[in-house]
Amino acid sequence: MKEPEALLELEARRAAAREMGGADAVAKWHSKGRMTARERIEAFCDAGSFNELGMLTGKGRYTADGHLQDFTPASSVIGNGNVEGRGLMVVADDFTLRGGSSEGAVAEKWIYAERMALEFRMPLVRFVDSVGGSVKILEQAGRTKIPGYALWPSTALMGAVPVASVAFGACVGLGAIRAIGAHFSVMVKGQAQVFAAGPPVVKQGLGHDIGKEELGGHQLCTQVSGAIHNVAEDEHDALSQVRRFLSYLPGNAWETPPRRVTGDDPKRREPALNTLVPDNPRRIYAARKIVEAVCDTSSLFEIAPGFGASLRTYLARLDGHAVGVMLGDPAVMGGALTRAAAQKMERFVDLCDNFHLPIVNLVDQPGAMIGLDAERAGTLLAAAKAGAAIEQASVPWISIVVRRAFGLAGSMLGPWNGPNGTSLNHRFAWPSARWGSIPIEGGVAAAYKREIEAAPDPLARRQELEAYYQRLSSPFRTAEAFGVVDIIEPADTRALLCRWARDAARLTQTQLGPKRRSLR
Amino acid sequence: MAIEKIPSPVTGIVWKQLVQVGEQLAEGDTLYLVESMKMEIPVTMPRDGRVTALLVKEEDSVAENQDVAEIE
Repeated sequence: MKEPEALLELEARRAAAREMGGADAVAKWHSKGRMTARERIEAFCDAGSFNELGMLTGKGRYTADGHLQDFTPASSVIGNGNVEGRGLMVVADDFTLRGGSSEGAVAEKWIYAERMALEFRMPLVRFVDSVGGSVKILEQAGRTKIPGYALWPSTALMGAVPVASVAFGACVGLGAIRAIGAHFSVMVKGQAQVFAAGPPVVKQGLGHDIGKEELGGHQLCTQVSGAIHNVAEDEHDALSQVRRFLSYLPGNAWETPPRRVTGDDPKRREPALNTLVPDNPRRIYAARKIVEAVCDTSSLFEIAPGFGASLRTYLARLDGHAVGVMLGDPAVMGGALTRAAAQKMERFVDLCDNFHLPIVNLVDQPGAMIGLDAERAGTLLAAAKAGAAIEQASVPWISIVVRRAFGLAGSMLGPWNGPNGTSLNHRFAWPSARWGSIPIEGGVAAAYKREIEAAPDPLARRQELEAYYQRLSSPFRTAEAFGVVDIIEPADTRALLCRWARDAARLTQTQLGPKRRSLR
Repeated sequence: MAIEKIPSPVTGIVWKQLVQVGEQLAEGDTLYLVESMKMEIPVTMPRDGRVTALLVKEEDSVAENQDVAEIE
């Protein structure tokens, strides 16, 4: 039987869409070692699970008598697919069509995908590869418009469903915002740049000659500005990082994170932790060994390892339950809460609170970073906002003070009141812990300035006073007053945390739904 | 081999200089200890190499990312 003409036309239009920017453009793209939008989706989703939507969107050219001459597809591919059996929405820019720019885009299409993620409460994944706006859309539309997209639910999405993005190549203007506005973002090393405007615009506006990698490459974005969380070695690595990220998260804010039993003994003791923290308080140690020892084997996934690294943030598992872990790292900036670390903390706490990931805080906090550079950077404002995020978090929380907890930043080890004013402030300590409003060394020098100066041997007097205060600051004295729930043997930390993670997972089942927050 | 400058990872005061010009060192070896936030933060070799210049001395103040040594 002969196919009806309309069906033939449907197939012809679909075939044109599958060709993307055409054989030459695709070959050129492949020669750069890059996957097309469709290949990226195929590599990302479970085999055969992707269901494309809007394949017929684009621009048809017609003969004078109204017959289709040719068809150029829109520069994004959208649809729903599965990752590890769970549904999500994907939006993938197609660079082979006019650089993925607005010129070749049909905004309604990619916005529809984002709205569908919101309405169907599915995670959203963006594969960004777009040079941004093109002046040629003025000619197409015959007018200019006030910038923006009325129906794009970019902020609402962030409270409702996990949003992840991959910066595959150029991410300029709107492309940059779509890459950055995610709970987890990753960029491909040497291949992706994220900026408000690229080198030609910077040259014209400011007269600066600067290369695109220097202006918005991975070093700037993941180590200096923090605009993007992680770096990927290549495209496949980027996709696997997003899959890994999503594996810890629920499909939306109304669900609990999936549990994955790893078989790792929840009562496993780690005697090496008993001697990890050096007696000399000035000595650093390998803080990462703590999280490696206490979390389920191979369950650690570090978010933003290059940014604000005096605070390390991980998604991890405790007896199979997904949790967020914060860890003070004394090897970076002495562990101080820098502006970058504070911003990282705020985002991480929000992520965990949004998606019911109980938070483990392993504290070694000397305080907010001090000095002129830190003051100029706005460290205090960033710290205050991080503190507010902690106070607004209602997700189960446990803190273990590993070593230091001093000053304003030291007070931020967990919610004191919580949004309902009933936070338990569940906190423990290792015997190596010391805390206080101010550290003893500087505190003694300030409070006893005159007495020390007047002493026959000022140095000896200062040391004597310091030793006296050190004895007073034994954590056991704090425990006597129940200022800390317990001081534990470090080797038993995993057992304590796994027990808590089971209780916490039960609690989160009663706390589902999106979180309301006031201004911070 | 090219000269490489080694920056301090942190703002602070040079507390200990642990090597001399001319010494051959391995990746991870410590050049200086910089005191910051009451901690001793090591400035370490990013790779194997020989120290060709030491740009700061004990008790000098250093800024984050300030070059403190050169190696080849």
